[in-house]
Amino acid sequence: MAELARNENPIEPKQQEEKPASPWRDAWKSFRKNKLALVGLGIVSFFVFLAVFAPLIAPEGINDQKISSDNYAKLEAPSSEYWFGTDDFGRDVLSRVIYGSRISLTVGFFAVLGSIIIGSTLGIVAGYYGRWVDTIISRLFDIMLAFPSILLAIAIVAVLGPSLRNALIAIAIINVPNFGRLVRSKVLSIKEEEYIMAAKAVGMKDRRILFHHILPNSFAPIIVQGTLLIATAIIETAALGFLGLGAKAPTPEWGTMLADARQFITDAPWTMIFPGLAIMLTVLGFNLMGDGLRDALDPKMKS
Amino acid sequence: MKKSLIWALAAIMLLSVALAGCNSNSDGGDGDKSKEQTLIFGRGGDSVGLDPATVTDGESFKVIKNVYDTLVEYGEQDTNVNPALAEEWDVAEDGLTYTFTLREGVKFHNGEDFNAEAVVKNFERWMTSGDSGKFAYYASMFGGFKGDEGHVIKSVEAKDDYTVEFKLNRPQAPFLKNLAMTPFSIAAPGEFDKIETEPVGTGPFKFVDWKRNDRITLEKNEEYWKEGLPKLDKVIFRAIPDNSNRLNALKTGEIHLMDGVNPSDVAEIDENADLKTFFRPSMNVGYLGFNTQMEPFNDKKVRQALNHAVDKEALIKAFYEGQAEPAKNPMPPVIDGYNDDVEAYPFDLEKAKQLLAEAGYPDGFKTELWAMPVPRPYMPDGKKAAEAIAANFAKIGVDAEIVSYEWGTYLEKAQKGEAPMFLLGWTGDNGDADNFLYTLLDKDTIDSNNYSRFANDELHEILVKAQSTPDKEKRAELYKEAQVILHEEAPWVPLVHSKPALAGLKTVEGFQPHPTGSDKLTNVSLK
Repeated sequence: MAELARNENPIEPKQQEEKPASPWRDAWKSFRKNKLALVGLGIVSFFVFLAVFAPLIAPEGINDQKISSDNYAKLEAPSSEYWFGTDDFGRDVLSRVIYGSRISLTVGFFAVLGSIIIGSTLGIVAGYYGRWVDTIISRLFDIMLAFPSILLAIAIVAVLGPSLRNALIAIAIINVPNFGRLVRSKVLSIKEEEYIMAAKAVGMKDRRILFHHILPNSFAPIIVQGTLLIATAIIETAALGFLGLGAKAPTPEWGTMLADARQFITDAPWTMIFPGLAIMLTVLGFNLMGDGLRDALDPKMKS
Repeated sequence: MKKSLIWALAAIMLLSVALAGCNSNSDGGDGDKSKEQTLIFGRGGDSVGLDPATVTDGESFKVIKNVYDTLVEYGEQDTNVNPALAEEWDVAEDGLTYTFTLREGVKFHNGEDFNAEAVVKNFERWMTSGDSGKFAYYASMFGGFKGDEGHVIKSVEAKDDYTVEFKLNRPQAPFLKNLAMTPFSIAAPGEFDKIETEPVGTGPFKFVDWKRNDRITLEKNEEYWKEGLPKLDKVIFRAIPDNSNRLNALKTGEIHLMDGVNPSDVAEIDENADLKTFFRPSMNVGYLGFNTQMEPFNDKKVRQALNHAVDKEALIKAFYEGQAEPAKNPMPPVIDGYNDDVEAYPFDLEKAKQLLAEAGYPDGFKTELWAMPVPRPYMPDGKKAAEAIAANFAKIGVDAEIVSYEWGTYLEKAQKGEAPMFLLGWTGDNGDADNFLYTLLDKDTIDSNNYSRFANDELHEILVKAQSTPDKEKRAELYKEAQVILHEEAPWVPLVHSKPALAGLKTVEGFQPHPTGSDKLTNVSLK
């Protein structure tokens, strides 16, 4: 009986799995038409590719210092040997930027995943149960949003101690209210829908309604918001790294690289330009892709 | 509409020009008082206090040295002892009685007379306090306080108005050199309660005011006992923490002199037609210390192995721009008793691996390397140095995580022995070997300056013996012996002796940086 109630039109199980794919196909169609979004997707795939195959692509390791007497290459300008030049330890900036993509992308992705999981759970609970549960959770979100996000992140890292893992945790925490509010508002509108009423009427358990009906229907905005927030998370990682609260030396995190390069801005600008460009490009990529996804997935934007 | 906008703009510009004018006047720059010579000295931090005996940091001594005098003083750029407030002195043959004849007619800035009574009162204040936290330098240079077993000074007595007699419990070879140290400056006895913030001495400059974390202003002491000196009318010490900001201030003429120049900026300063560089004669050592009470650094072989794994030449080339020399002993070569026969551990990773294996760590180990968070004269960038050192350690399997804390915390924790390996350094106070070897590595100084917590009875015997050996040659021999032990035991990796760079406008004349790190600006003038 439950099986029947799960969909508005009871059909064969096999087709059930494929049926929901059609709105996604629609979305992909409209996404494909959006040139900017495709550029974004291209950039993001490029960096993902770099991150996955870093050891194969990068000409050197991340900490191959060349400052000894017989092998000295400190602050060399970009050349055919070192495409992006070398830093003050004689390390190849290109290799470090390539390895850096691993850090930024993983931290960005997992931080956002973390906020999605925590935020959605809290949002669903708040939206579905309402009353005092909603009040507590919503006010908690309000409090968190009252802080400038980077300041909150700095405070959290200060408490946990500076490290890349703690930076990730901090970024995940500060983005929780974003998803929480999003999901809560979505839940509020979905729970008035007729099919939810129907589910309730047939005596379905709360948990099943929440995670099999309400949550899947909130996926689209979560994905859109998530993509856009990965961009923010990458910037926040870099900012924490720049402030010395993120990755520790010699980890080639882009923000940390920027901070290290500050003093050479006039003598050796390449130590700063390339990590900076890398941050800019990935963030641009995720933003373009996110915008494209929003156009494709958000029914209200469809004309 | 447009017209009013233009008027508004014009008004703003006029106002800003007027305000800029105000600013340069208040700085005592050119203006109408062009004959008045004001020198602005830019430095990395503010003073902690201005009571000579209660502070221990260089930024405080820089100011104190210009407000006070000591009984005897160092030479222009060396640590030989010359007459100052004491015109001459007589040392008894047993080395236990020193009689000083004081200069007559010297007055403190508040009008009090400087005489034997004043000297006695200053020494009484220090030696009877019994507070080694407050009077740290007195305790560590003169073996504690009155009544303590090791206390050097038995009594200080005024024989007449201008004669002071010191009686010692035991001979102390560097006694005169110690008296010349800035912490033992003579302050006006009537003002002891206030000199922490409003210093009163006999020095070339009088204290005017102190804006915390910004500036300390001094003015010329017209009655200074050195005829015709000082040449400057006013000296302002300004705190500008960031090295490159300070250099920018120098370039714009906002300050006249600065210390803490990044080695990498020296070339640029030399190219600038308005600026020149000064080098402080090297009397320091930058080192990597091991906590000799902590596994695995309690094993001599491990310490020796890591000595083989540091490439000092690379550090100097990459982070000192060549303005340093590699160290092999815990004290710099300019100091009497330096043992040049000690052979430095060569940079040899194979040998290092072999020693580690002998010590039972064929695969290395995991540890921490502490790096100081602030630039120091002996090490311009601790974190970078640590990164370079750690990369070589990694090659022999020693995985050292780089750790850093805020400066005060860093020193406190390292002093307590929480750091397995740490970077640090020392600038000599009085040019004596005792001030390096005993102060930094004797078992008596664990919990104060012996951060590597190194205790060796043989060494202790030699160092204490050297303290009470007046004969120069014999002392030098003892210190040479001590350095051989220290080389073998390797509680440190001695890294470098640096030549700290300072910079100033070309108009600054007569400035000679002193090896102890603080400079008397008596002979300085502006062209």
